[in-house]
Amino acid sequence: MIQTLLWVLVATLLWVVAWTRRSSNARHSLLLLGSYVFYASWGIGFLAVLVASSLLNYACGLALRRKPTLVRLWVGVGLNVLLLGLFKYLPPALSSGSGFLGHIVMPVGMSFWTFQGLSYLFDLYREEELDPSLLEFCLYMAFWPTVLAGPVCRLPNMLPQFRRAPVWDRDDISTGFSRIVLGVFMKIVLAQLLGAGLTRGAGVAAGFDQTRGGWGGLDVWLLAVGFGFQLFFDFAGYSHMVIGIARVFGIRLEENFDRPYFSLTPSVFWTRWHMSLSFWIRDYVFLPLAAMRREVWWPYVVFVLSMTLFGLWHAAKLTFILWGVYHGLLLVVHRVGQKLKRRISVPWADPVRGLLSWCATFSLVSLGWIFFRATDAGQAAVMLRAVVTPSQYGHSVLPGDSYVVVCLVVIAFFAYHGVVAILAAAKARYGEEVAGDAGAFGTASEMTTFGAATIVAVKALDFFGERLWWWAAPTIAVLMVSIGAAILRHTAAISVTPFMYTVF
Amino acid sequence: MNGDKRAQQVQQMIDYLVREVVGRSGVRISADMPLVSSGLIDSMALVNILLKLEDVTHMRIPAGKVQPKDMDTVDLMFATAQRVGKPRK
Repeated sequence: MIQTLLWVLVATLLWVVAWTRRSSNARHSLLLLGSYVFYASWGIGFLAVLVASSLLNYACGLALRRKPTLVRLWVGVGLNVLLLGLFKYLPPALSSGSGFLGHIVMPVGMSFWTFQGLSYLFDLYREEELDPSLLEFCLYMAFWPTVLAGPVCRLPNMLPQFRRAPVWDRDDISTGFSRIVLGVFMKIVLAQLLGAGLTRGAGVAAGFDQTRGGWGGLDVWLLAVGFGFQLFFDFAGYSHMVIGIARVFGIRLEENFDRPYFSLTPSVFWTRWHMSLSFWIRDYVFLPLAAMRREVWWPYVVFVLSMTLFGLWHAAKLTFILWGVYHGLLLVVHRVGQKLKRRISVPWADPVRGLLSWCATFSLVSLGWIFFRATDAGQAAVMLRAVVTPSQYGHSVLPGDSYVVVCLVVIAFFAYHGVVAILAAAKARYGEEVAGDAGAFGTASEMTTFGAATIVAVKALDFFGERLWWWAAPTIAVLMVSIGAAILRHTAAISVTPFMYTVF
Repeated sequence: MNGDKRAQQVQQMIDYLVREVVGRSGVRISADMPLVSSGLIDSMALVNILLKLEDVTHMRIPAGKVQPKDMDTVDLMFATAQRVGKPRK
């Protein structure tokens, strides 16, 4: 642990030094060295695989830059799939663990940077004008904020930023640190709280792993919703941290989440959840495949295929494949529903339709997490059977604490976003008064009490929003210490967990 | 290409987008209006638009060479067809 921290410190120092260099070669060399030092702290063997993959993709890229043929593209894709298969999919298949292959360990973040290498090859095939040097390409593959678990970057976005002369921008630094603080809060406080619970055995993890079957219908709903939020806070928290770290150095990464739990349809959900990967699948898998044939049913087949690949990307486990197929089918049902809706007019008001649509999407997405989290397909089947069996709603095996924690966190999440939305609407409405231009809206005497109160609230919010460090940092520190103390009082069963997506 | 023919094709594409993709009356689409980046068209619509573009331009457009950003506006769609499309046999 201490060794890893030291390596991280060295890598960070190298980065800070690199950012003061004017020569782009010196800067890139130091940035790459920092990234490699950081990555090597997870294992020197892992670094060797990353370097090999970078060299392989760069060489394939050179061939594609000379002549972007389909054969050259498929050779590059095949080599990447082979390398990923060797480290990610083959060892679990040889479950006996005997022999050399059985002892292979997948380098951390391999699925993420392999997909980055692949997107480079696809972009070159599409004749994008990309001319990275070997140094720049290796830096793109190993960029330390993203090397462990994304977001999955694209070279057309990163290359101009690497080449730009470094500038310390006050806005970038403050936004970066705000996002780091938010990310830490989401991971250490919220994800941890949901996963571990307040008391021993009351967390979502224990609900899935330690409860020996017999779940009631409500138990399963609670675990599904709880796990969905745990995963969201964990991965979105991680993404905030990573995007924030890069932002401090003036680099803007792809966003990974955009309020996914407010989606009204499954299609919209997939434009807001793990966006860097879902857009990758859309651009490089769905679109080329779906446009291959003209039959009406073909895009539906491609939906299921693409989402199955999405599931398989996580691991070669039946549960992930089922999760992918399930979401593929949800997308198909949504599309068919959309077609029917055009023919049948439903006389419901927009808010009612919106609410029903949100409820259906939220419930179906939440149920899908059972496949994602279940130990095996058998457990998923038992849990889903409990959901559809009315008699299973009469009993519960989860402790009351589980219900309290999950419900409180979920309600607080929606309440927070609700208040933010109301204040944003109020701010837009009374924006001119807040800016001090009362004449445009009416005189002070004409203004309602509610209007005046809103202006005061919005002004106060702006004041404290601009001074985040006054209140957010101490609040988060106190919360983290409290949660940490609660965790320490218990045994290892609820110790702080690593980021969930670093295992993929 | 003949200017009148291009203008006709652009109008044909816009009519298709209004009728089949947006599906709401009163929505106006111009040739330089962002469609993908604004969220107006999604992945499924993108596939149908690509196929329609092939019909309108009488070209074979390899989907592997097209990115959503190349289809962001009607103008860009035709530029993409010109760049990567091959005349249909």
